[in-house]
Amino acid sequence: MSPIKRLFPEPGRRPLRQQLAITLTAILTLSILVAVLLLNLLFGWQARELIDQRAAFFMDAMLSVRAYTSKKVNPIVAPLNQGAGLFRPEAVPSFSAQTVAGLLKDNPDYREYSYREAALNPTNLRDKADSFETGIIEKFRRDPSLKRQSGSKATPLGVVHFVAQPIKVSKESCLVCHSTPQRAPTSQLLAYGDSSGFGWKLNEIVGTQIVTVPQKAVFAAKDRSLIATAVLMTLAFAGVGVITNLVLNQLILRPMREISRKAEEASVIPATVNFEERERRDEIGLLARSFERMKQSLAISMQMLKDRKGQGG
Amino acid sequence: MNRWLSLLALLLTSACGGAPRSDVSLCGPGGRLRVGLVGAQEGQLESAAGVLADREQFRLRELLTVASRCEVQLEPVVSPEQARLRLKSGGWDLAFLPPGLTAFALEQNGGYGLVRQLGRRGNSKSQLLVKASRGLTSRADLRGQRLGLLPRGSLSGFYLPLFNLHGLRFSEVQYALSFARLREMLNDDKVDVIAWDGAIPHGMEGFEVLHEDSHLIPLGALALSQPLLQADHQPFLHQLDENVTQLPRSLGYASGVLPEPYALQELRAIVAAVEGWSLPQGGQAYTVYGAKSATIAGQGGKR
Ligand code: HEC
Repeated sequence: MSPIKRLFPEPGRRPLRQQLAITLTAILTLSILVAVLLLNLLFGWQARELIDQRAAFFMDAMLSVRAYTSKKVNPIVAPLNQGAGLFRPEAVPSFSAQTVAGLLKDNPDYREYSYREAALNPTNLRDKADSFETGIIEKFRRDPSLKRQSGSKATPLGVVHFVAQPIKVSKESCLVCHSTPQRAPTSQLLAYGDSSGFGWKLNEIVGTQIVTVPQKAVFAAKDRSLIATAVLMTLAFAGVGVITNLVLNQLILRPMREISRKAEEASVIPATVNFEERERRDEIGLLARSFERMKQSLAISMQMLKDRKGQGG
Repeated sequence: MNRWLSLLALLLTSACGGAPRSDVSLCGPGGRLRVGLVGAQEGQLESAAGVLADREQFRLRELLTVASRCEVQLEPVVSPEQARLRLKSGGWDLAFLPPGLTAFALEQNGGYGLVRQLGRRGNSKSQLLVKASRGLTSRADLRGQRLGLLPRGSLSGFYLPLFNLHGLRFSEVQYALSFARLREMLNDDKVDVIAWDGAIPHGMEGFEVLHEDSHLIPLGALALSQPLLQADHQPFLHQLDENVTQLPRSLGYASGVLPEPYALQELRAIVAAVEGWSLPQGGQAYTVYGAKSATIAGQGGKR
């Protein structure tokens, strides 16, 4: 049996209403399935877009914090670091960005967001790039035109979405603290030691800024809307099915049953039967008019039969 | 068919595999575990990279992540002074500390508690080292000299030497991150007297011990912040205890061994007393002066 034929099983074996119900159910189920599949793609795409947007916003905010520290804070705090006193990391852009990100995380809404500045040869050993981050940095170093990498990353705590940008030693001023221990403030050496975070070159890509944003929540929300949409569509289609059925009943089945009842009656006493439906201008009217004509011919034939009987008897 | 089987297997393993491992996480604020790593010893690091090899650092981070089920931010720190600031501001939820900072952490009111012992027992004592040729024989001779110390936060390199030099005025105080570097400074005549750890052979001719403190330097400890202490931290410690081979050997993590707080008691009082003084700035003159707590027993010492 061809699939189309299977949609209309054994025509004529069941009441029209059932045939229609079966056909409609099949068509609507199929269309819901197709729609859900397509919507899943669309919603997934939207969710990824949303995650990307959030990550980009977070990254840009952190870049602004860095810029603020360089431009506004560093000129005030840097002179304090010249002596051998306590090193004030507040002047360091990397420190302020990571501190602000930490404060943001204290807000439960942003718990799963994170920001990191990872370097191959970091000043603060906390920033030492792990193997995943090293891979990202190496890729940036190989291809200086690459401005952004993003994707999913599996962590022991689940999958997160990350966006990474390269950190380049773009200014000569960075080299004060990152070229040789001799140039760096004594206070910095006492705080971080003199063996790491040095030897950086101008315009070298030394590290990467990585933001990670949660994926799970966004995809869970996507799945929820998908399910809601599917339920709504099913309800709507069920409604359409019921209404179609009612309309069918009202427009076709009832008049047809009525005509059929009258035709039955007319087969016995045609004179008393009146097919009012013939006034209708649709196919039911056509049918009624045919029956009406048949009734009249029947009546005439019966009359003739009667007359002949009268003459003969 | 095969696919259904593997799906079933996956469901089963994910259902059962998750069960025995406790799902409770042990996190600090913000869902992160901020871990400070100073190590068990004081002033022994030649360089920052010496705190931990990279691989050890990643392994440790992974173990801590798995044990705590939080995002771990591991901060190895070379300067006890930086570590001291972190402890003071509550910037760490968990810290691997040497003895001086252990005492300091306990002094933070309501701040930290000790849960495991770190380091190996030795015979470290705080000493003052001078060049023999200088003819300095008693502490009184040190008046007006230049003093070399480890950064604030070190017991044998900062708190004890200052405590033992009470009342003296120095023309300059210099800092270095390691005893080796201090010895170099002494050798190069950049300073006249340095703090020293008696357990380290001083290795060069011509140095002599001018004074030795009587206290045996205790061991370091793994400290937990108060909120973590109040949370259920036993499963976490259990995981560390079981995977002790994943921890860097240099930490000397002792599975299941609680630190002995009484070994620290007197030293805590000394740390608290010195912390109350106005303390020396690098490169500046300084008079060691401040109230000594009445509860502290005699300073002891030879010569
Ligand atoms: C005042 C000295 C100073 C200057 C100037 C400075 N840095 Fe840093 N930088 C530091 C210190 C100190 C740290 C470690 C901060 C911390 O503890 O978080 C650091 C950290 C970083 C980090 C994070 C990785 C690491 O090494 O721990 C990056 C990346 C970085 N700096 C890049 C730069 C760039 C690019 C510039 C120039 C725009 C710059 N720095 C200027 C001192 C400085």
